[in-house]
Amino acid sequence: MDKNKLIAALIDVTKQNLNSTEELLKMSLETLNKKENSKSWSALECISHLNIYGTFYLPEIENAISKAAISTINNFKSGVLGGYFVKLITPTKKLSKMKTLDKFNPIGSTIDKKVLITFKEQQIKMLALLTKASQVNLTKVKTAVSISKFINMRLGDTLQFVIYHNQRHLLQANKAIK
Amino acid sequence: MKESFILLDEIDAHNLWQKKVTLKRNEYLKVAGSIDTNLYFIVSGSLRIFVINELEEHTIRFGYKNNLIASLDSFISEQASNYYIQAIKETTLKVIEKPTLKILINSSSALQENWNSALEQIIFQQLEREQDILVSSPLQRYQRVLRRSPQLFQEIPNKHIASYLRMSPETLSRLKKS
Repeated sequence: MDKNKLIAALIDVTKQNLNSTEELLKMSLETLNKKENSKSWSALECISHLNIYGTFYLPEIENAISKAAISTINNFKSGVLGGYFVKLITPTKKLSKMKTLDKFNPIGSTIDKKVLITFKEQQIKMLALLTKASQVNLTKVKTAVSISKFINMRLGDTLQFVIYHNQRHLLQANKAIK
Repeated sequence: MKESFILLDEIDAHNLWQKKVTLKRNEYLKVAGSIDTNLYFIVSGSLRIFVINELEEHTIRFGYKNNLIASLDSFISEQASNYYIQAIKETTLKVIEKPTLKILINSSSALQENWNSALEQIIFQQLEREQDILVSSPLQRYQRVLRRSPQLFQEIPNKHIASYLRMSPETLSRLKKS
């Protein structure tokens, strides 16, 4: 995979994610808390779930990049596990249901519009990190993952995972407010 | 950019606008890290160009109805830039891509001259803007910009003007009253 093309694509998805966030910010709190049933997530719960991920991954990505050497290698190769996670999380036409671990489950947490501001700030941070990431080796540089202490993931996979995961739950949030 | 020049008439006459884009209020046209070498004509609405540093937005320029707007750094260098461009209200743009524009400009010396004079105007405006930023008195910064672009105060919400003038919205409304 071409590194620059991958980064450009991820910046574009992050732009769309920011635009979805701006639309959500225009909605009433009542709409944002609407849910189909007691087990499904409201729009704000979706964003709250993403913030939990962002709080783990953004410092992790920043740390990995800050330690990495500048690299001109313009090729990225997905790892076996990383590639699998990215494929699993990338939204397809029909959103499949997925289970989340308890520690990532936002249900019942009290939330207001502040979660949207936090999420927006995380996207701005992500855009700055994507620019920095374009200067390092996305295959060689590794990050930890949130679900296991024993495995790590190639930076290119981590970036895709976090950004497509954001896209997935923003689509879910857009359904929740309808 | 203030536009009443033959280049625009020529683009219209030869129907060289490549597409039309409509942005909702607060929608991003461009985010940090992306390349954008298009030139845009604002059919309706208004936009702002800004950078974000440590989560603080710094406004660089505005675009109103019947103006041209571009991410000029990226337009010139054809590289990624840190600029954000966001619609302040619902905005419709006509788009011409740089290669098409170049072909047109290079097709006649009159158009070349016209383009150069537009670029000169921009340089002149940037020199004025550089002084704005260097003036330490908030009152003088306000007066300079008011004298130069009274239109700004009719078209753009206070909070964005305040950011452009490097002062808080409270300071700006105090200065406007005095």
